Amino acid sequence: MATENIEDAKAQMGYDPTTNYDEATMAQQRQIEQEIAGCQPLIGKETDLKTLHDEYSPEDKIYQDKITDLQRKHSAYRRIRMDGNCFYRGFGFGYMEKLLKDKSELQRFKEVVTTSKDEMIKLGFPSFTIEDFHSNFIEVLEKLEKDCGVDELLEIFNDQGYSDYLVVYLRLLVSGHLQKNDDFFMNFIEGGRSVKEFCAQEVEPMGKESDHIHITALTAITGVPVCIEYMDRSEGHGVTTLVFPDDKTPVLTLLYKPGHYDLLY
Amino acid sequence: MASMEKRLQKELQALQRDPPVGVKVDTDKLTSNLSEWTVNLTGAPGTLYEGENFVLHFKFGSRYPFDSPQVIFGGANIPVHPHVYSNGHICLSILTEDWSPALSVQSVCLSIVSMLSSCKEKKRPPDNAIYVKTCSKNPKKTRWWYHDDQV
Repeated sequence: MATENIEDAKAQMGYDPTTNYDEATMAQQRQIEQEIAGCQPLIGKETDLKTLHDEYSPEDKIYQDKITDLQRKHSAYRRIRMDGNCFYRGFGFGYMEKLLKDKSELQRFKEVVTTSKDEMIKLGFPSFTIEDFHSNFIEVLEKLEKDCGVDELLEIFNDQGYSDYLVVYLRLLVSGHLQKNDDFFMNFIEGGRSVKEFCAQEVEPMGKESDHIHITALTAITGVPVCIEYMDRSEGHGVTTLVFPDDKTPVLTLLYKPGHYDLLY
Repeated sequence: MASMEKRLQKELQALQRDPPVGVKVDTDKLTSNLSEWTVNLTGAPGTLYEGENFVLHFKFGSRYPFDSPQVIFGGANIPVHPHVYSNGHICLSILTEDWSPALSVQSVCLSIVSMLSSCKEKKRPPDNAIYVKTCSKNPKKTRWWYHDDQV
């Protein structure tokens, strides 16, 4: 009888042992990714912050209050595509947009990027792939030195091939910084993994999301302080503001909603 | 030239100029746009696979290096190893979720050689029979569970 019941249950759930479920699951994941890609550019247009109110129900008091609080300090935002690379892409675009108007900061940053390559090769990154991503990154910085405007920058960041190259280099910078300072960062890594393993699993692959440790590393290695406004379901009427590192004046601000970063103005 | 082809062109040059021990690209079998490669591997001395020859097939999509290549063992000799199925599929995390664009054909080959070298007992994965029967032709369409890094 027991066997019959199990067979009944399997039949009810539509389970077929000869079917390949992995393939169906992954096809569905891909379809969802494509739907997101279809309706959302990698970096969106600058939009008035008040439109954010419409995304939440008017009864959703926690979020409505927090958006109102956000409006005291900020007026607009850009939506970044939700593909797990939003922190790097948002940081990259937001910062380079500032660089358009600050040539001396651009020179400082170019210097940082230039020296980073040898540092990373010294750490054991394969020089061949590092060079490829490095030269692309420098190429974009050289465009900024010429007469590149916001529209062209937006075009670069919305061209997936180009944009992903920039994201990869930022990921490699973070990985390099964490590995170089592994004595310190090993204290923040869970699951008994080494810093190198953490980097291979949570930093270097595309689409892996970013947390405090990634933000700390990227702001340190680039020398670009960042402010993050945290908007979540926690109690209180205001957003939580954190600056990385906390004793510096931030150059750009990102809005964090659980699992995602957008760019704030 | 597409960025995937440009990148593969550079990888090929580097691999021919400076091939790692036991890794050799079969240049006769390269396709014209470089989207398929055949690489010959030799088991490292002092390991269970010493002197054995293996063939790896690489397939690259247009999103390479942002998407991982598809990599399977082919030919007559599929290594008997706890992470290699008898149809040539390999359970190795850098081939799917831990893939990074900073990796390359060379680093994949070296990881596979090192996976073989650290093996202590030649045997197939415990779920070999059922997996080989139901899996997709493309190992990237399998949602792998990575058990351990010991072998």
